[in-house]
Amino acid sequence: MSEMSVMKALNLAMFEEMVADEKVICIGEDLGKQGGCWGTFTGLQEKFGENRVLEFPILEAGYTLFSVGAALGGYRPIVEFMFADFVTLGFEGIVDIAAKIRFNSGGVDSCPVTFVLPQGGGGKSGAHHSQSVEAWFANVPGLKIVAPTTPADIRAYYRAAIRDDDPTLFIYQRATMGLTGEVPDVLDEVPSLAKAGKIVKTGADLTVVAYHRALLNAMAAAAQVEEETGKTIEIIDPRVLIPFDKEIVFDSVKKTGRLMVAHEAPERGGFGAQILSWVVENCMKELKAAPVRVAGVNSIIPFGDLEKYLYPSVEDMKAGILKALK
Amino acid sequence: MNFSNEELLEMYSDIVKSRVLGEKIVEYIFSGKIAGAIHPCLGQEAVSAGILTAFKKSDIITYGTETHRAQTVMAHRVGWKPFIAELLGRTGGCNDGISGEYHIHDLKNGQLPAAGALGGTWAEIAGFAWALKNDGKKRQIGFAPYGDGAISQGATYEAMNIAALFKLPILFFIENNGIAMSTPVENQSPLENLADRAAAFNMKGVTVDGDDPVAVAEAVLNGMELAANNEPNVVEVKTMRWEGHYVGDPQKYRDLSYKEDLDSICPVVRFEKRLIELGILDDEIIKAVRESQTKEIVDGFDEGLSQTIATKEQVLDYNRVYSNNAGGEL
Repeated sequence: MSEMSVMKALNLAMFEEMVADEKVICIGEDLGKQGGCWGTFTGLQEKFGENRVLEFPILEAGYTLFSVGAALGGYRPIVEFMFADFVTLGFEGIVDIAAKIRFNSGGVDSCPVTFVLPQGGGGKSGAHHSQSVEAWFANVPGLKIVAPTTPADIRAYYRAAIRDDDPTLFIYQRATMGLTGEVPDVLDEVPSLAKAGKIVKTGADLTVVAYHRALLNAMAAAAQVEEETGKTIEIIDPRVLIPFDKEIVFDSVKKTGRLMVAHEAPERGGFGAQILSWVVENCMKELKAAPVRVAGVNSIIPFGDLEKYLYPSVEDMKAGILKALK
Repeated sequence: MNFSNEELLEMYSDIVKSRVLGEKIVEYIFSGKIAGAIHPCLGQEAVSAGILTAFKKSDIITYGTETHRAQTVMAHRVGWKPFIAELLGRTGGCNDGISGEYHIHDLKNGQLPAAGALGGTWAEIAGFAWALKNDGKKRQIGFAPYGDGAISQGATYEAMNIAALFKLPILFFIENNGIAMSTPVENQSPLENLADRAAAFNMKGVTVDGDDPVAVAEAVLNGMELAANNEPNVVEVKTMRWEGHYVGDPQKYRDLSYKEDLDSICPVVRFEKRLIELGILDDEIIKAVRESQTKEIVDGFDEGLSQTIATKEQVLDYNRVYSNNAGGEL
């Protein structure tokens, strides 16, 4: 085990997959000497060369589509968007082309591209650099969405996303780049994207499903509520949103009878609404109270410190937990 | 002209085949046998014939898409019967009649995935061309066609920039038929020749007469050679669309006086005259070619129409959407 940051875990996962498979290539801006905008590509071009770490001009639409062509040519591209917000420019390539390669080829060809999206708040960068985009893509059949939080999970599930033969969005929270944690020196087995849910903490009175910074805030809030009320709270990190591990959530809700879902993306049309629907459809008779969502405000993200008014805080999480426990 | 009499006759055969296919598509749409808005090639047959001649004559292997009016090239790639069946939405189609001619995709035959929204496939083909080059595959190139309309899309500029920057083996081909749906080319671009855009990326760009299959074939062959030497370039061919954007389009946006004397602008008639002057074509051959090409296409339609359409199970097959069992559910 080594203590490492999310940033280092991202770098390690790419390094390991590039060693394991010479067809893995990286595509994005400033990937050369700069090592990527966030430093996550540090050393990769030096180690693997310019033909495997391709530094592109600023043309997200172009290199998204390019990656699909390279995938059809037998490569396994990792495509970084500097900010998840910039994926708007790659939308056609992901939604219209990559997601439909397998279908339109009659199930013959795959499109093993991993689109990497650093998202969310924490950078205080305002409207165009702080959005959470998972729900934009959750409605598109053919895509998979991977969204782990801790350094160990980032390393393992990033590798799983790269290995997966389907177009996969790998979404992580930019604000938690410096989050550190124990990471195994060797990953014995790259996990499957199926059944990826993880019980972070067991409990008997409430099930909380959350990811990214919302997960960290929910954990902090849960500790306070447990301390104050004596109730115990089960917390689930889904780690992968599509395919979603429904069973682990259903099993937990059937035990606790209560549910809270939390994420930073706006509440309206957010992925939490989908989780809530599945639970209501499948666990109605075990539910003791209406499930609760804690999510971002349905508004535009302001610049600087003002962003705190948009994203769910530990206090918001605590209020949500208390409401769900009523 | 570096084409043998046999090659010219085959070129003639292809231009006639394109004409017959265009006519049959119109006929089958009006009789309700083809669904959707298919864009027939009438008036633009010399373009497909020229491209096909180049493909057949060169040892260079191409991977690409086609413009929607170059259906003869699509059919050449994926096979005539699978193409026609796909057009008809039948199970003998190259994608089981499920994807449709709009979204045709058959990599083993060099047919890269087409895209509904225009502009993107140039960059997609650039990525494929990069893979060919990176794998050291000699004399294999990307062939990236678009019409005059699509190349106003920003993604085409990004694709040309990428290709020039990475010196990719790719030929960008512009089939300029003078009109994008209802908008004439002069309302789309200030340029007289759209191939001039190549200069912005330090690439070669040529413009030739798209109603002359020989000129098209020569330009494509030259462009393919440049591309095979990692010199991406642009070839523009100028032609004219006879039909509306879709079959049945009343074309209220356009002066239709050209329809009064189609023979005077017809690329098939023009090529026939030329070959007759050269002494390699006569009325007998003209009749025989027309009959044999019509038969092949009509047989293809008959066979396609005799096939079933896909079942719900085939369409909703999980394995058609995801590559492995970690895909969740449909």
